[in-house]
Amino acid sequence: MSNILTMNNIQKSFGELEVIKDISVSIKQGDVLSIIGPSGGGKSTLLRCAAMLETINGGSILYGDKKAAWTEDNGKVVYAKGKDMKEIKNYFGLVFQNFNLFPHFSVLKNITDAPLRVQKRNKDEVMAEAEVLLDKMGLKEKADSYPYQLSGGQQQRVAIARALALKPQILFFDEPTSALDPELTAEVLRVIRQLAEENMTMAIVTHEMNFARLVSDHLIFIDGGVIVEQGSPDQVLGNPKMERTRAFLNKLEQ
Amino acid sequence: MELQTMVTMLAEGFVKSVAIFALTLIGSLPLGLLVTFGRMSKFKPLQWIVKLYISIMRGTPLMLQLMVVFFGPYYLFRIQVGSNYRFIAVIIGFVLNYAAYFAEIYRGGIESMSVGQYEAAEIMGYSKLHTFVRIILPQVIKRILPSITNEMITLVKDTSLAFAISYAEMFTLAQKIASSQSTLMPFVIAGVFYFVFNYVVAFIMERVEKKMSYYR
Repeated sequence: MSNILTMNNIQKSFGELEVIKDISVSIKQGDVLSIIGPSGGGKSTLLRCAAMLETINGGSILYGDKKAAWTEDNGKVVYAKGKDMKEIKNYFGLVFQNFNLFPHFSVLKNITDAPLRVQKRNKDEVMAEAEVLLDKMGLKEKADSYPYQLSGGQQQRVAIARALALKPQILFFDEPTSALDPELTAEVLRVIRQLAEENMTMAIVTHEMNFARLVSDHLIFIDGGVIVEQGSPDQVLGNPKMERTRAFLNKLEQ
Repeated sequence: MELQTMVTMLAEGFVKSVAIFALTLIGSLPLGLLVTFGRMSKFKPLQWIVKLYISIMRGTPLMLQLMVVFFGPYYLFRIQVGSNYRFIAVIIGFVLNYAAYFAEIYRGGIESMSVGQYEAAEIMGYSKLHTFVRIILPQVIKRILPSITNEMITLVKDTSLAFAISYAEMFTLAQKIASSQSTLMPFVIAGVFYFVFNYVVAFIMERVEKKMSYYR
């Protein structure tokens, strides 16, 4: 299977602070990648770089065989422009930690507005798809509700439906359950797991180790701006080779 | 002078006061948005110019600004102005002044929006214009509505400042009648007009706020 996302030698600094030193990672179609690690280690930043919400200081990003960003010989990072960039942005969706639904839109409009207004797709088709998505998320009767009327778990499921409605080839999750109570976490994780079973390509930054083990094909542990360890989830979580990984996992168990 | 004549005369002035009110809003609400864009622009020189404009508009009396707009063309450039310039000067002065206040209210509203709203829109492919018009502005309007209402109520009373350049709105007429007839009555009647007008403004704005309370 071909790579949907390839990130090579990514570097990212905020002023003096080097958050990502040198990280290379790729995701194949249908794969689920989990990214774990201590906070401040650079895992969310990596995801935000992939989603073009942060500008990288070095390295390259490819979606399929389309170059999204690359570093020229003089060290300057160049991003794709115009139509190319628009096409690249169609590749991915992102689910945020704190949902970021549009509060003035109903649930249905949150899901359908961008497919209609941005992708300019057929209205009947978009409406029918939205209905299927809502049903899948268990939110069929919430179509006309507004975000403030929903629980956090329901809002996050709307956010997932909203991202899926744009038919991304890869879906990023930035700590999707960190703002949720344990029982609400479970319902969101169930949805993500279902997507994994349907072979949705995903990259998930998470603190839910059991979930990461269950759902992902590949797992990377990031700390100090580098990949400390990577491999199958069973290997990294069950039998970590690196001392830093062991220390991190031990801390979580306490 | 009979009470009825007095009321009729003041009512004619009142129509002019309402005209100042309406035209000021029509001009300054959109102009304020443009001023905000300038104020929030990343292009520094534009930002400085707009900052200076806002600080002058807010830092000097509106009455003085009206004088400058009205007498300026002649004293500064020796331009003979037409007879209807008095009214035009009132509107120019009011629009320029209120746009500065509205601009700062807009800016407060825009800056109170979370970055997440912009990021969500960007991820979903909304253009900058779409993001502002469809996602940000509607939420901003809801948030700033109470402040806008405040300004509108102040504006109703401020229309009386057109007195400074003798434009015959309600207050100017009340003052004229009062001094020629030696009675306080015109001021009482004008006061009632202002109060009722503001009552209506507050009532309408409350309805608008209610209409926008379908989300939080």
